[in-house]
Amino acid sequence: MSAIHLQNLVKKFGDFTALKTMDLEIADGEFMALLGPSGCGKSTTMNMIAGMEEPTSGKILFGERDMAGMPMGRRGVGFVFQNYAIFTHMTVRQNLAYGPKMRGAAKAEIDRRVGAIAEMLQLSPLLDRKADRLSVNILQRVAIGRSAIMEPAIFLLDEPLSNVDAAFRAVMRTELKQLQRQFRQTMVYVTHDQLEAMTMADRIAVMDHGVLQQVGTPLEVYNNPVNVFVARFIGAPGMNLLKGKPAESDRGLVVDLGPLGVTPPLPDELASAVRAARGDVLYGFRPEQVALTERGLSMPVSFVERIGARTIVHLGQGESAVKAVFENDIGLSVGQTAVVAPPASSVRVFDAATGLAVKAG
Amino acid sequence: MADIIFRNVTKRYGATLAVDDASFTVNDNEFFCFFGPPLSGKSTILRLVLGLEVPDQGEILIGGKPVNAVSPAERNVAMVFQNLALFPHMSARDNVRFPLVERKVAEAEIEKRLADVAAKLHIGHILHKPPAQLSGGERQRVAIARALVRDPAAYLMDDPISALDARLREETRVELKRIQRELGKTLIYVTHDQEEAMSVADRMAILENGRIRQIGAPAEIYDRPASAYVARMLGSPMMNILPSVRSADGLEAAEGAIRIADAKAPAGAIEIGLRPEDLKVRPWTDNEMTDGSKGRPARVFEVEPLGGYTVVTIEAGQARVRALLRGQPDIRPDAMVAISCEPGRVHYFGQDGGAL
Repeated sequence: MSAIHLQNLVKKFGDFTALKTMDLEIADGEFMALLGPSGCGKSTTMNMIAGMEEPTSGKILFGERDMAGMPMGRRGVGFVFQNYAIFTHMTVRQNLAYGPKMRGAAKAEIDRRVGAIAEMLQLSPLLDRKADRLSVNILQRVAIGRSAIMEPAIFLLDEPLSNVDAAFRAVMRTELKQLQRQFRQTMVYVTHDQLEAMTMADRIAVMDHGVLQQVGTPLEVYNNPVNVFVARFIGAPGMNLLKGKPAESDRGLVVDLGPLGVTPPLPDELASAVRAARGDVLYGFRPEQVALTERGLSMPVSFVERIGARTIVHLGQGESAVKAVFENDIGLSVGQTAVVAPPASSVRVFDAATGLAVKAG
Repeated sequence: MADIIFRNVTKRYGATLAVDDASFTVNDNEFFCFFGPPLSGKSTILRLVLGLEVPDQGEILIGGKPVNAVSPAERNVAMVFQNLALFPHMSARDNVRFPLVERKVAEAEIEKRLADVAAKLHIGHILHKPPAQLSGGERQRVAIARALVRDPAAYLMDDPISALDARLREETRVELKRIQRELGKTLIYVTHDQEEAMSVADRMAILENGRIRQIGAPAEIYDRPASAYVARMLGSPMMNILPSVRSADGLEAAEGAIRIADAKAPAGAIEIGLRPEDLKVRPWTDNEMTDGSKGRPARVFEVEPLGGYTVVTIEAGQARVRALLRGQPDIRPDAMVAISCEPGRVHYFGQDGGAL
């Protein structure tokens, strides 16, 4: 069994608490992403799973087995780091064969496994090249292959794609996902890039300041973030959040956004929850859901980024800034005024004091 | 005036052609981006502008003056390096002051320029801190301030924000663009991130093996790539480029899964290019089976949710085709779908990879 259970996990380095407390269950064969900004505790968590760090308190279980005191080499985990470790004096083939050879596998068996993994990672034509002649992209692929060939039950990857170039990163995302599907190992993937987490993971554990914020499928954390941190961190750009006060109107409960005016009425269930919660709120909506409307928030266009398939329009400034993602034919330019609103069903409301989502129903 | 002109510039390192007959003009006050894969010549071009390298052939002009024989110090162009290169033992203030102190500028003038640049970059409140106590974004701004305080005619940046977190990069690139607009200075910018390049650049040059393949505004290059190479460089997911064959009413690709009914398709086209966002993907229905014009069914291989968009990878014959769909459509792996694309959105490429 290679399920991973983290129970009340805490890690302190002297006075500094890297991980305040972490409870997480990763199912056997699951692809779990640990996602957060630098310093959120994601790498510390992974290092403890790997056995490179011992927890200050709490437990790590692989299946039913407690890993306390279990040395790294006996945990049966494979890992790949941002800075690949490759023997540069060896060929790709020798690098891939290194692990099985050390374990005393038979030559025929080694050849078969090297061939299979090289095929999967598109390394077959490069097998007899010396590693010191290869690009960073290929070296990272070799590093992944060298770890994967051991067929570990648990595979840990710490930002393996942050040094490879952007085009290659997209290719590697697909390959890693394929690799995991084929071997069905439990995969824990550390990243600060929400795109990598969204596209590869079965579930995402979003972390900040040593605290687990939310665990869910990519669409769960995107559609229903539990707090403003997750709302901002997931999505590119993140969710728009505008400060306001709930106010009754003849059309229902609206949010008074001050100088920006009032929002369209909130859907009934959300309105009831907001009434019950009282206090100031943050009115949230995704940039991709913004539409140009007749009645809505009237805001000046401050910047337009046309990036390939989409155009990000920046509206307003400072506290009341909003980003909207449109098709390229939107035809808005700096200095114009846009009237925008999100569809009512896509609005999310957060308590301004606690930052927690106000849940409808 | 600080326009920067390269006329047929070539630079070799031994047998390697690092820059191959490059000609371009970066206009005064322009945000100009060089974009290409590793070793395509981007950094060598920067070094040539700075004067750290001398061209083997050709001429470089800055502000109308030939500078081939002008030393780096006399060129008045400032550089922000990838690793920022801040002095760790100095405060942010001393780091920014350094280029002026070194040039023995009068103290009153130094303080005036420091105040000016600190205000533009919003770093007044962190000037007392050493680099180690600054966030990645703050260090970045301090490094830019240090380059700007000299009041250079042009400044150069070599992948300056690549070390930042993804989220911070998205914010910083908008900030960089704002700063450049406000300063009104020529900026030559090198990046390996295509989205960043398209976001910030007024114009950009796409490089391949030391050669400039296309120059233009990002939207222009994206919409009308001059070659299959350039087409692949911009866009994520990248353009689907598929071998195509003639059919009765146009072209087809991916073993009939994609049919383009375009009687005016260029005769020499051997490949078609389809942007993922231009593809329409619909569930396959029985009644379409008999309608030959819609192409054959194809199988969904992978669905990647991005939240606001969904990337669907489809196996069509030997090819894998990526479509970028808006929203969160209910499409699952192994579903059979029909793929189509409006003929007006199709790119055609000929034998030599050039756009037709």
